[in-house]
Amino acid sequence: MGKILLVARYTFLEMVRHKVLYAFVFFAFFILGLGVAITQMTIGEPLDIISDIGLGTIEIFSTIIAIFMGITIIQKEISLRTLHPLLARPLTRPQYILGKFFGMLLLTLVGIFFMTIILWVMLYFYGGPERMTVYLPSLYTIFLQTALVVSVAVLCSSFVEPAVGAMFTISFYLIGATSYNLVYLINKQSSDLLKNIVNFLRYILPDFSNFNIKDNLVYGRGLENISLSFATLYAAAGILIVLAVAVIAFNKKELN
Amino acid sequence: MTAHIEVERLSKTYRHPMKVWKVIEAVKELSFTTDPGEIVGFVGHNGAGKTTTIKMLMGFVRPTAGRISLFGKAPGDPAGLRRLGFLPERPYFYSHLTGRELLRYFCGLSDIPGAAAKGRIENTLRMVGLSDAADLTLNNYSKGMLQRIGIAQAVIHDPELVVMDEPMSGLDPIGRREVKDIIRELKKNGKAVLFSSHILADIEDLSDRILIIENGVRRSFGPLTDIIPKQDISWHVSFAAPDRDRETLFAAFKGLRATSGHFTVTIATEQEMNATIATVLDKRYTIIEAGPIYPTLEEVVFRMKERSETEVHHG
Repeated sequence: MGKILLVARYTFLEMVRHKVLYAFVFFAFFILGLGVAITQMTIGEPLDIISDIGLGTIEIFSTIIAIFMGITIIQKEISLRTLHPLLARPLTRPQYILGKFFGMLLLTLVGIFFMTIILWVMLYFYGGPERMTVYLPSLYTIFLQTALVVSVAVLCSSFVEPAVGAMFTISFYLIGATSYNLVYLINKQSSDLLKNIVNFLRYILPDFSNFNIKDNLVYGRGLENISLSFATLYAAAGILIVLAVAVIAFNKKELN
Repeated sequence: MTAHIEVERLSKTYRHPMKVWKVIEAVKELSFTTDPGEIVGFVGHNGAGKTTTIKMLMGFVRPTAGRISLFGKAPGDPAGLRRLGFLPERPYFYSHLTGRELLRYFCGLSDIPGAAAKGRIENTLRMVGLSDAADLTLNNYSKGMLQRIGIAQAVIHDPELVVMDEPMSGLDPIGRREVKDIIRELKKNGKAVLFSSHILADIEDLSDRILIIENGVRRSFGPLTDIIPKQDISWHVSFAAPDRDRETLFAAFKGLRATSGHFTVTIATEQEMNATIATVLDKRYTIIEAGPIYPTLEEVVFRMKERSETEVHHG
């Protein structure tokens, strides 16, 4: 475990100093700021609008950071040979992969933390800072969802080129974000055969509706049918499967 | 004395990236051993199989056939890796870490505890001449500095053997000299070094033994004087003689040269040299110098290549 944490620590340290990361975070702040302007032009409770835009921005930008920082994380080290001196030390390939994953996870966690502070400051000025406590479960599920995306980005980075990895990870995110609604629509309107296929696929395809509690919390509906324990188990199982595949693929890989 | 590296009938084949039915033999039945405290230079032109061999030694790629032992262990075994340092070709390290941070990272990976690591880092930075640049991030380092921090990470854990892939590649003459001085310093401290290069002057300058590889096949292995084919060595006799004998001497010795007051004869075999010495002494001239003339490593490699091409044409 010590070696995994060591790799995670230096992965985080290297990535947190990247200028591109600051560009993402700055842009996220900009969108959050834009939320204030939108409240002036929209009918509705300003606190609800700021919260909705704020939590949405946190989700999108933590995903962007996960994808765009994650898809190059290993492939770049192979092509630039940064990886070779590391593996020439008593460090196993699984330790390296897991270290990279946890380093990336820490990076997204820090990103979510800073964006949350900005959202809290905005809520404070609009007189509703106590709402932040209500939103904590939503921030937690955003983190779980991002962790799953990070694991897929690490998997892709361990054996395909960044462009292909980005396409695959973005597809994974889009399928995850839309699969629940697609299954719902197809079940309403299609043939029995298609329904059976779709109902089978829903057990294989990612389903991020398990993490989507933002709207419920913002508009005061509480957690309703969503179980945080189930969301945690769902993310943990997904991450375990994806990382296991990444470790197996990377162990077999020839580092040319 | 146990060998550090033992390589036995090592082979590696690849599938051609475009024509998958075609097999490329990168290394063919390569065998060699390296001993403690020696510098072994690994020579071959680009694509000869040097880097592939080194990658197999380090466990980055798997051999198709053959056996590798590093300190009696298989490649990638942690016990073997603890005694080994590695510098890849044109190393690129985390550009946003400082030199000191990078070395701290490698100390951690090498299981060196924090207190011991501090002293080790300072000493290694001093050895590679980077003490003043230790707190700069690596994106501010020159090529030569990157090479030196690369060597620093390879030796930070005090290994017995350091494997370097093209350590002088892409460096200016000053950078090359600095790296060569570090390699000499490592040998002085009892370390063994295996380094690959296609800069023959560097190999000749540093190596105790030279391993020559061509198209994945071992061509020769040993000290420079041993690996030179007999037909590539010529012999010479230099002697002083009165200028009035000049014409007689030119008539008597084929290929005679007159240089600043003395004469030099170059001959093909040792026997001819001994006969020449006897003649010169018989005429009561003074022998200044006599002995073999070895070709440079560059000439040796070039002639080897020529011969193997001739073999291919005739075979």
